[in-house]
Amino acid sequence: MRDRPLLLSVALGSVSALLLVVVLAPVLVVIAGSFLNTAFLGISSERWVAGGESELVTFKWFGYVLNLYRPQLTFGVQLALWNVALCLLIGVPGGCALVRRAFPGCGILEDLLLLPLSIPGITVSIGLLQAYSMIRGKWGLLLAGQLLYTLPFMVRSVTSTLRAHDHAALERAAHSLGAGFWRTWWLVTLPNLRHALVVGSLLVFAVSFGEFNVSFLLNTPLYQGFPTALYATYTTNSFQVSSAATTLFLLVIVPVLLVIQALGGRESTKIEQGA
Amino acid sequence: MREGLMLFPLLFVVVVLLLVPLGTLGWSSLREPGAAGGWTWENYARFFASASARRALGNSLGISLGVAVVSTLLCLAPAWLLAGRDFRGKRWVRAILTLPMAFSGIIIGFLTVIMLGRIGVVPRAFEALTGLDWLQGAAYGFGGILVAYLYFEIPRATLTLEAALRKFDPRWTMAAATLGASPWQRARLVTLPLVLPALLSTFAVTFGASLGSFGVVLVISRRVSLTPLQIFDEVFAFSNFEAAAAMSVVLVVLGFAMNFFLRGLASRLLAHRA
Repeated sequence: MRDRPLLLSVALGSVSALLLVVVLAPVLVVIAGSFLNTAFLGISSERWVAGGESELVTFKWFGYVLNLYRPQLTFGVQLALWNVALCLLIGVPGGCALVRRAFPGCGILEDLLLLPLSIPGITVSIGLLQAYSMIRGKWGLLLAGQLLYTLPFMVRSVTSTLRAHDHAALERAAHSLGAGFWRTWWLVTLPNLRHALVVGSLLVFAVSFGEFNVSFLLNTPLYQGFPTALYATYTTNSFQVSSAATTLFLLVIVPVLLVIQALGGRESTKIEQGA
Repeated sequence: MREGLMLFPLLFVVVVLLLVPLGTLGWSSLREPGAAGGWTWENYARFFASASARRALGNSLGISLGVAVVSTLLCLAPAWLLAGRDFRGKRWVRAILTLPMAFSGIIIGFLTVIMLGRIGVVPRAFEALTGLDWLQGAAYGFGGILVAYLYFEIPRATLTLEAALRKFDPRWTMAAATLGASPWQRARLVTLPLVLPALLSTFAVTFGASLGSFGVVLVISRRVSLTPLQIFDEVFAFSNFEAAAAMSVVLVVLGFAMNFFLRGLASRLLAHRA
């Protein structure tokens, strides 16, 4: 028999339920607002544009947003994919080397790598702007700034997997059986990291696609991510247009988050990125 | 040698993209504005002398502290259930609570306006039910901002607490119970000391995330100013990089100071227990 006071369970359950409602309700309202004719229901922030005034459901605001903000949407996806590619190229070998502690100072390097997660994004972007103002204009700085915030997720995904089981022993076993460096890498290390790489890539994609703190300053008029388009709709467009844009954002980000959850990404347990 | 090659890109990123910019930030915060300027403390002096800058810093710190306390305490409930119990739909609970993770502040600001704004869903429903318009425009006050910040801290606090509480073994409290401890004694003498370090680290995580965030306020109201927003204004409205650098350094130092303080507190508590 386990001693569980009923009162405590009820309290924990009701606070949790309250939090669930707080998180879910606004999201559902926004999704509903993106295709429901709220003017028809008697709630409107602007006059319903002529035509289709009698319809309750319309998807025309999605068309409007896609028309106006398609460059931001495609560039946001591209930028996120570039982040994933660079994180795989830099973070995976780097993470493996960090775990082996091949050099003195590896611990410090690892701490420094996680540092951006606890520094306000705007300060990092100001530092980047001041240090490298000459290469502003293209999207190199934007990618650089985002990379600082995405790389830790990939590296941590790799290092925590390698540390969870005694990976060094596996590599020694492969070496003693005559496998060279590359053979061990392809046949032992990478297969073991498969799960970490999938989860890490999804995390990197999600973080990059939703990132605004660093991007806000490093954006240029021609190269902006989707959150910048969201900000534009919030400040200049109606409730329906903003809702449709937000729903589009959710359509990209929610499936990614759900897959991460389904894969049981332990790596996501220590996300500290400032929203 | 091979490890060196594997590590080099990482080292490059840390040095070129992180250390050099942060160094530049510290350097230019001590420079006089203008190309020919010399060394000066003027940027910091002006920052602390300005009433609006002090108010913005106070807002940033106040909001971050308040939200860190509230989110740590509230999220203890779902984290406790997720870490210690099995129930149907557990995955869905975790999935929903971590949903705001990838939302930037502006999205949460928008959600807050929809829910708590002048014609927000909650005030309208409240008015329809009670006939009172108390909640109208709640989003634009301090309470609305707190709720909005809580929204994006929910995933961070829940996941950090859950990870820490997993290590908590319920058999310890059971052992205390068999030794005759009352529920209150068990909570105070066994559970609390074991959970306290987790609470402190969650507090640090949520505080740090709130301190640098500005998206919520950017959308909700520009009447409440925050240090990150003032940094933005210094750069874009006045092109005063030196002042912006000084403000950034203050913000980073405050974040670190809080982190060190909490870490020290946690290790002191752990040492005390051992």
